[in-house]
Amino acid sequence: MMKKFTLFSLALKNLKRKPLRTSILVIAIGLLVSAFVFALSFVRRVDSSIKITSERLGADLLIVPTGSRGAAEDVLLENEVKSFYMDKGIVERVKKIKGVDELTYQTYLVTITGACCDVPESIVIAFNQDTDFIIKPWLNKKLGRRLQKGEAIVGSESAFNIRIGLTEVDSVLFGNMFKMVGVLDKTGTGLDNAIFIDDENIADIVRGGKANIKSGQISLIFAKIKKGHDPYKVAGEIEDSIIEVDAVARKDIGKNIINTLRDINRIFSITVILASILSVFLVWAVFSAIANERAKEIGIMRAIGAKEYHVVRLFFLEVLVIGSIGSIIGIISGTVLSLLMAKSFTILKNLAADLNTVERVFIATLSFLIGTVVCVAGALSPIQRIKKLEPLLAIKEE
Amino acid sequence: MIEIKNLIKTYNIGGQTIKAVDNVSLMIEKGDLVSIVGHSGSGKTTLLSLIGGLTMPASGSVIIDGIDIWSMGDDKLSEFRNKKISFIYQFSSLIPTLTVLENVMLPTAFGSHDENAEEYAKKLLDTVGLKDKMTSYPSQLSGGQQRRVAIARAFINKPEIILADEPTGDLDEETEKEILSLFHSMNREKNITFVIVTHDKEIANQAKRKLKMGNGSIKEL
Repeated sequence: MMKKFTLFSLALKNLKRKPLRTSILVIAIGLLVSAFVFALSFVRRVDSSIKITSERLGADLLIVPTGSRGAAEDVLLENEVKSFYMDKGIVERVKKIKGVDELTYQTYLVTITGACCDVPESIVIAFNQDTDFIIKPWLNKKLGRRLQKGEAIVGSESAFNIRIGLTEVDSVLFGNMFKMVGVLDKTGTGLDNAIFIDDENIADIVRGGKANIKSGQISLIFAKIKKGHDPYKVAGEIEDSIIEVDAVARKDIGKNIINTLRDINRIFSITVILASILSVFLVWAVFSAIANERAKEIGIMRAIGAKEYHVVRLFFLEVLVIGSIGSIIGIISGTVLSLLMAKSFTILKNLAADLNTVERVFIATLSFLIGTVVCVAGALSPIQRIKKLEPLLAIKEE
Repeated sequence: MIEIKNLIKTYNIGGQTIKAVDNVSLMIEKGDLVSIVGHSGSGKTTLLSLIGGLTMPASGSVIIDGIDIWSMGDDKLSEFRNKKISFIYQFSSLIPTLTVLENVMLPTAFGSHDENAEEYAKKLLDTVGLKDKMTSYPSQLSGGQQRRVAIARAFINKPEIILADEPTGDLDEETEKEILSLFHSMNREKNITFVIVTHDKEIANQAKRKLKMGNGSIKEL
């Protein structure tokens, strides 16, 4: 018994007729979709990483030493290892500003590369457990108690980066012995790459002289704003009253990166649009040639009873097969490319947040639609032309 | 019954209007076997295409079994062709990507699905002596074999009318005889109406009725 003969099997056979031409079309669509997947993954990843970080920090304002805003964002958003300090007395001055509700502060210390017995270079965050509202929720979830002096807990990524296992171990930080008491769950922020200690350890570290910090210094202050107050106004008042600090509203965290991203996004969009137009022309040229080549066959098919609908369906099946295969190849290669290239882009390399399954499915679906729509758009005019050709004229075509 | 009334078909070539079919009126009874002879360019193929609904006349009508085929929309006309009319051409009219069996079955892909189509296609291929070539592709067949496949295809949907344009051209004498014998037996046994355009006087003489075309006009011989 012969396999049931359908228009789909005829479409597949037609595509196999000129394998090189079909392959070129599939590759062209694949490249377009691949570029689209890569661009969209890049933009979405940076965008969602900034959003997650600013939301999860749980503070309305970020107060940093004047000129250190970029460094603070580097630590929080891009997991870079940086330190910057201001006087601890600023905390009390900020408290007095109208509209400020809760405050907490953190001190960033950078471990020394190559120092004997120390962990590899990473950021150590000392925080005040009495006032903290940034780390505490994660700490409570994991440890269920306060960190004691001489204890440290590590972020989910740094556990791997600094090769600290999941079991309790002793490690040396700035020449001081610390007991690593656990690993925090992934927060999706730069904090995942840090080691956390209580603020009261700072005095011992300063005494040891192995950290580049002086007594009474902190790195940044997180502030919550009282209800009904505008964070931007409060930030402005802080900057006006305390010249040594910059105040950043939550919504503005990562603004510089977002602005840069917007330009990158524009470049990607223009590139993808141009590539789409090019692909539409390529599909149009190929299907115009196919329509001319097959005019006689179409005429014969019309003579034996094919309706215009059958002709359109046959061509669309071919177009959809090319579009689908090209899109699937593009989605796979674009995803692989985005994962591989992530290591080469500074902006992506240190981002904590990765795309989740829903986002990846969304990107894949959108890319699939783009690939097939481009294919259909290119083939539309030749298909319309061949559909409308009078059967006798088509049969006479050579 | 085919009833052709005042049929005119014109072509515009280089700004000049040429009448390929000039006011032809004709009646062909069901089960008739009609031959049309005439020089090249006399309008035979155009008349055949007008009867089969492949090209639109400038004026006039083609009425088959009481239905003016040019009053039907494109879909209805295609369906009508698929069910009632079959064409046999003088050139290779096979689809190169399909096997011999698939080519014969092609018309069934455009009409209502018939469970027995494959069996019938095999029987037809047996009738035209190509049962052993079912899985071959047209490029693997000789010109004569390709023509026989096209003839088998013409019968797959059990048509009432067969319009054949030089169906035995380029065929060897023996194959030509076999094909004509098949036409005659189909005409006799299944009451299929045949309209055969030919240059060959011998074929024309075997028809029940002979017509001649010249300068777009037709006359009975």
